[in-house]
Amino acid sequence: MSLLARHLEAEGIPTVIMGCALDIVAHCGVPRYVFSDFPLGNSAGKPFDPASQAATLELALQTLETATAPRTIVRSPQRWSDDPTWKLDYDNAARLTPDEIAQRRQAFNEGKVVARARVQAEQQGR
Amino acid sequence: MTHSPDLDEPVAYIQRTRDYYLALGFNNPYRWAHFDDVPFTPLAKSLATARLALITTAALYEPQAGEQGPGATYNAAAKFFRVYSAPAAGNPDVRIAHLTYDRAHTTAADPNTWFPLTQLQLAVARGRIGALTPRFHGAPTNRSQRVTMQVDAPELLRRCREDAADVALFVPT
Repeated sequence: MSLLARHLEAEGIPTVIMGCALDIVAHCGVPRYVFSDFPLGNSAGKPFDPASQAATLELALQTLETATAPRTIVRSPQRWSDDPTWKLDYDNAARLTPDEIAQRRQAFNEGKVVARARVQAEQQGR
Repeated sequence: MTHSPDLDEPVAYIQRTRDYYLALGFNNPYRWAHFDDVPFTPLAKSLATARLALITTAALYEPQAGEQGPGATYNAAAKFFRVYSAPAAGNPDVRIAHLTYDRAHTTAADPNTWFPLTQLQLAVARGRIGALTPRFHGAPTNRSQRVTMQVDAPELLRRCREDAADVALFVPT
């Protein structure tokens, strides 16, 4: 998504990205980014919380209006939880047992096979 | 309740992901894109008169592609590999089962957390944004940055221009 936003921006369309992965987007370098320190999957606000979702969108709109230079990153003041331990769980190899690692490796390999078949089906459909 | 201040920093996903795939036995870590130069186009008109395009990594629901509902495990069969477009009117059924997200801490039960179309429609209704483009656009999460740049990016630009988009809101999952 960062690459796509960069392309539109370079071609004259101002862009803003909403997301939850600060380091990945900052590492790439994008024009405008609104960062919510939430679990991946909640780029547009908290679930079943229209006020959170509205505030997140408004921050993105304000960032479109106020940014004066690229690499503008705005951090949402919202917190997911007073307990930040959720940050330890996502794809954290140190928290997985050898059995869980083996299961995930197998699932990853199976996913690749399925995705490859999907790509081939799409190409044949062209 | 007090916690280590380190824990309250944003998750370092690049390092986390690298360590994760190494632990799984994959020794060819993904190289995240990095650029020294970043483009910038100032906003040329008031948002109240601008047409906004919504760009998502979510996929249109495909009944034949297996489980895609809240709590679904990663579903590679629901992936898509080409830019798609669909009407932004109404309430399109988009899902994220084909993406990696934090399944331990979010169930994907509320699409508004990854697809802010309802909030965008409300913003248009109250005059905060001039209009939405007639279509929103789905962007594939290709592992290949070459494909993203050479195929998806020009295609997405073409569609946004076709829709006379003035600004674009990108919402990755």
